[in-house]
This record gives sequence, C-alpha cells and structure tokens, in this order.
Amino acid sequence: MFDALVIVTLVATGALAVFGLVETARNRPPGKPLAYAVYATVALLVVQAAIAAVRVFGGVQVPETTTFLIYLLVSVCVLPIALQWANADPNRWGGAIVAAGAVGVAVAVLRLQGMWAVAGA
Amino acid sequence: MPEPDERRAAPPKATATGPGRVLIAVYGIFALSATARAGVQIAGRFSEAPVAYLLSGFAGLVYILATLGLAGSGPAARRLAWVAVGIEMVGVLVVGTITAFVPGEFGPDDTVWSVYGRGYGFIPLILPMIGLWWLRRTRAR
Repeated sequence: MFDALVIVTLVATGALAVFGLVETARNRPPGKPLAYAVYATVALLVVQAAIAAVRVFGGVQVPETTTFLIYLLVSVCVLPIALQWANADPNRWGGAIVAAGAVGVAVAVLRLQGMWAVAGA
Repeated sequence: MPEPDERRAAPPKATATGPGRVLIAVYGIFALSATARAGVQIAGRFSEAPVAYLLSGFAGLVYILATLGLAGSGPAARRLAWVAVGIEMVGVLVVGTITAFVPGEFGPDDTVWSVYGRGYGFIPLILPMIGLWWLRRTRAR
C-alpha cells in the first residue's frame, strides 16, 4: 500500500506513543503540543485512508474489502476519540491514553498493509 | 466513607479516574476491533467457522460491557464491570487452554482469545488481570 506513506504513518504513531508516555512519566497533563502531534498524525492517516479508499473503490482487490474499509475508518477515528478521552480528565494519564490509541492505530495500519500486500497492488 | 473527594453529592467515578482511564481506553480499542471484526465475519462468511465467529462476537460483547462498566459510575456499573471482566478472564483461560492443546478446535480462524490472545500480543490475557486488580483496588472499603 504506498509503502512510503505506511512507513511515515508508522513512525508518526510510534513517535506519538513515545511522546504520550514521556508526558505521563513527566507527570504532565495533556497540553497543546500533544494535541498538535495528534492532529498531525491524524492528518497523515486521513491522507492514507483517502488514497487507499479511492484505490479500493477504483477496483483494487483486497482480500476482505469490508474489513479493510473498517480498518481504514478505525485508523482515522481512534486518535481523536483518545484525545477527547484524555482531555476530559486532564492529568498525567492523558498522555498514556493517547499512547494506547497510537499503538492501536499502528497495529491497524500494519494489518492494512498486510491485506494490501496480499492484493499485490 | 474514606473517599478522597469533598463533594459528597457527586461521588467520584472510582474506576474511571487516573490510570483507570488508560485501562478503559485499551478496553475501548478491544471492544471496537473485536466487535467490528466479528461483525464482518458473522455477516459475511458465517458458515466457514461459525463457532469461532460466534466466540469472537461474544468476546467483543464482553469487551463492550467491560468498557461501559469501567467507564460508568455507581454500584450497577461496578457490578457490570466485575461480571464482564470476570467472564473475560475465564473466557481467555478456557478458550486459550483449549486452543493451545487442540489447535483448530474452533475452526481455521483464530478468535481474539485463541492461545491466550497470541494474535494480539497476549494483551487479552493481561487485560482482565489488570481489570480485576483495578476493580479490587478501587472498591469501597
């Protein structure tokens, strides 16, 4: 699946997870920098999802189209929800919540990449 | 009532505070992914491995109930969380043990609890342990 973009999103989600955990370790509530990091990562994920969706609807055969599209949707939605959940009770654990979301999204991206690889597109 | 909160009228959501919110986030992710995956499997190709897909759907439902129970407040939510996390613990141990000794018992596809959640980094095994510990830690004393 557009390998370069997958690597960029994996690096971004990985960095976001580390950032969140560092904030928790430093006992800081989720602040503006963490929010911007989430927005930037989600922007990348939206671009990735848009490209993938266009290509699937354009005829690229992935093994499980429905699952693939659900994973695309999940990859975009999880981090905004996690940030919301983190900000609802702003304390040191907000960063860890964002980190959990980032790891979940990274796994989703890896699964997407796996399905795309099977498609051989 | 040694609750660390001055406002008596609004008792704290004991399980949805501090690190408990991280736990709930992880439960939410599992609820979402397990349910979505099982939904697709049951709707799209149920006959291939009905037992595995029903089991995945059941696991997804248990994760949803555990998330709601842990995120909610009050004795009813806490009871729901105890029951859901307890079922989750028993489920992952039973299904994990059966699938570890009799591979493919539930069909060709893995469920979220197969071999103690091997396909999910064994988080399905660790999660209910932390959940039970957290419920015990935050209970009224």
